[in-house]
Amino acid sequence: MARGAVARPGRAAPLLVGVGFAALLAWSWHGTAVDLPGLFGGEGLRQVATYVVKLFPPDLSAGAWRDAATGAVETFAISLIGSLLAVCVGLPLSLLATRTLLYRGILFEARRPGPGARAVRVALYAAGKAVLNLLRTIPEIVWALIFVFMVGLGPFPGVLALGFHTGGVLGKLFGEVLEDVDPAPLEALQATGASRFAILVYGVLPQALPQFVSYALYRWEVNIRAAAMMGFVGAGGLGQRIHIAISLFQEHQLMTLILAIYAIVTLVDALSAFLRARLV
Amino acid sequence: MYELRGIRKVFADGTVAVEDISLIVGSGEHVAFIGPSGAGKTTLFRLLNLTLRPTAGALIFEGQDVSALSDAGLRRTRTRIGTIYQQQNLVGRLRVVHNVLAGYLGRWSAATALASLVRPRDVAGAGRALAQVGIPEKLWARTDELSGGQQQRVAIARVLVQDPDVILADEPVSAVDPSLAVSIVTLLRDLSHESRKTLLMNLHSVDLALGHFPRIVGVREGRVLFDVAPDKVGPELLAELYAGHRDEELQLEQLRDGKVSFGAACRPLPGFRK
Amino acid sequence: MARFPSARPADRFRASGSKRLFPYLFTAVFAACVVFSVREAQVDPRVFLEGDALGNVAKFVRGMFPPKLDVEFLGLMAGPAIETVQISVMGTAIAIALGIPLGLLATSSLTWRGVLHERTSRTGRWLLGVVPYAASRAVLSVFRSIPEYVWAFMFVRAVGLGPFPGVLAIGVAYGGMLGKVYSEILENVSPRPLETLHAAGASRVGVILYGLVPQALPNVIAYTLYRWECAIRASAILGFVGAGGLGQQIELSMRMFQFDEVLTLLAILFALVASVDFISGRIRGWVA
Repeated sequence: MARGAVARPGRAAPLLVGVGFAALLAWSWHGTAVDLPGLFGGEGLRQVATYVVKLFPPDLSAGAWRDAATGAVETFAISLIGSLLAVCVGLPLSLLATRTLLYRGILFEARRPGPGARAVRVALYAAGKAVLNLLRTIPEIVWALIFVFMVGLGPFPGVLALGFHTGGVLGKLFGEVLEDVDPAPLEALQATGASRFAILVYGVLPQALPQFVSYALYRWEVNIRAAAMMGFVGAGGLGQRIHIAISLFQEHQLMTLILAIYAIVTLVDALSAFLRARLV
Repeated sequence: MYELRGIRKVFADGTVAVEDISLIVGSGEHVAFIGPSGAGKTTLFRLLNLTLRPTAGALIFEGQDVSALSDAGLRRTRTRIGTIYQQQNLVGRLRVVHNVLAGYLGRWSAATALASLVRPRDVAGAGRALAQVGIPEKLWARTDELSGGQQQRVAIARVLVQDPDVILADEPVSAVDPSLAVSIVTLLRDLSHESRKTLLMNLHSVDLALGHFPRIVGVREGRVLFDVAPDKVGPELLAELYAGHRDEELQLEQLRDGKVSFGAACRPLPGFRK
Repeated sequence: MARFPSARPADRFRASGSKRLFPYLFTAVFAACVVFSVREAQVDPRVFLEGDALGNVAKFVRGMFPPKLDVEFLGLMAGPAIETVQISVMGTAIAIALGIPLGLLATSSLTWRGVLHERTSRTGRWLLGVVPYAASRAVLSVFRSIPEYVWAFMFVRAVGLGPFPGVLAIGVAYGGMLGKVYSEILENVSPRPLETLHAAGASRVGVILYGLVPQALPNVIAYTLYRWECAIRASAILGFVGAGGLGQQIELSMRMFQFDEVLTLLAILFALVASVDFISGRIRGWVA
């Protein structure tokens, strides 16, 4: 290094990442048969345009309107109850997926669990994590297929599907929040002789609650979109009606339903933003 | 009350916080711990309030070796030891009343603890404790809306509600302004005196320690350097205690030059009990 | 303990009227919503006990084991698995390409408000700022509020079956989300350094390059990577509406009651999602 000169940071790493991304992109472009020139050049664009024109005007007859409204309400109901069920599934599991509540950290400094007890606790943690992973890995649409297979058609399997998949997601997120709470207040509570349960409800949960609410609301926003999809596998809501409209080439009704989805999703996004500002 | 025999604490990362401390503290005694930062005073207090377990040595509380305690026994013993921390260690999102009533958690059943979060159990008791520390009007405030000094008083109110046999105060006044510091130390001292509680306090400021405590323990590098009455603590002893620690040496110079007098300004603040 | 000074009766902490009312109102409305939704969604746990629900589960679980692991099947599935990854990468790329310009236009501090526009005339602000701003916000809102599989459905109609409609669907839906979040990140950038640069005589482009971009970039990259993680899940799901990838295979196997294949496919999906999460986590670690 020259005297007085400051070492210039290496440029190899960013360059490598850049080249890697370019290669990844080229490979994906090729693999997915992306045809942007085709899409924008004449034929493709005309095809899209014809289709879009066919969608207008939306069918605003009383029947179509009522159908869309019913579907929207049902979708809203599925998303709300599905998200609540997810909290009920995720919260208890997240307590198992929190190491600092089971076997390590400040609550276990004074008296470590013996090797046997510790093994049981580690196993509980591993089991909690495994269940959450399983719930989360299976996409909601696959859960919906499974539940339709179990309990038949209708919105209820949709609710269960959202509850199970989102329960896994929320359980993981909640567990991370629980492990991240400030341990100092917990130490103080423990020093007063509080039981683990008391420490949980007085120290851990009050700290975690705003994050819990925020995550639950966020997943609700995701779920209103997913709830509409449940219909494709026969689990009610707007999705089912969209599926029918597309299959029967009822483009004007499809447009009405799309407007309904847009409305209900925007409504839930706004509600969620309002509640987040108010509750967190 | 306490008997420590060759206590040593090594953390998981290999740092030796407490080298070797042996000490006997009698019931009702008031002891101040002084020493440079990093000497292991805070770790010692976390050992004394049964948060940490000593790596070696025996910690005996009221004739009972605490390493032999079961989980339940440990909890019962902890209810008899009240701790006030340097940082207030309160739950910011809870209202003050709940943070004060948390002093009862060692005695409450799970159901009572839960019910009290919805409908506070002993509001009058919490109010009295807050009145004693001079902030009765903050009972229903959100704790994180309080100033540092007010939060420290909430922490003291929690210990009042807990009503323990020993109060451990770990640098309770290092985060509050000097006049309030004197009030808090006086309050804790008088209160422990009246109800015959044992009081152990970590203090950063030497003059507060020498002015309010009959027994001074100097801790340096995880060992007891001296354990004497305040009138035996002279400049040489303090110089040895703080050798190599710039900030504390500065404090000593001010003491020597008479800029700060021993046991300065013991007037309690308005709102504090005389 | 000795005497207590007469404690002032502690007044219950009271805030403004609306704040006091809100919890009750919220609880009532929420409860009503839940009751109504439970009925509307036909929630009925009894269905588990009647009919052959549990028998079906048993059949399903028994059918899954052992998972189908012969070489021929795995070889056949390698294609769709790779395709799923490619759809997610290409979809995210298109989403970025859509999200950046729309997000920039939808940032009020760039188009019409704040330090960069002190000296622009009123009409200038309206024509060159507010109008494109409002338009891009509207477009972003439409893009992200229509779920990706509805887009996929329509793109399948427009450009035919295969992975391409899946790419377009993810591109459009996620483009809407990225654009909105980009604009939020840009608006939350601290204005101080921008003002300093502006005061030092930097041009608008200079302010953007030296003030805005460096502050916003880490968040932008982190959120984009997060969307890529979501995209790999979405691209698997889009297969259900005929847009290629693993989803299509899962749907086929489900419909044909080949649950051993379903289990294998889910395991492959899990491996893909986990590796994407891992890679994205590593990159985020470098950036942050």
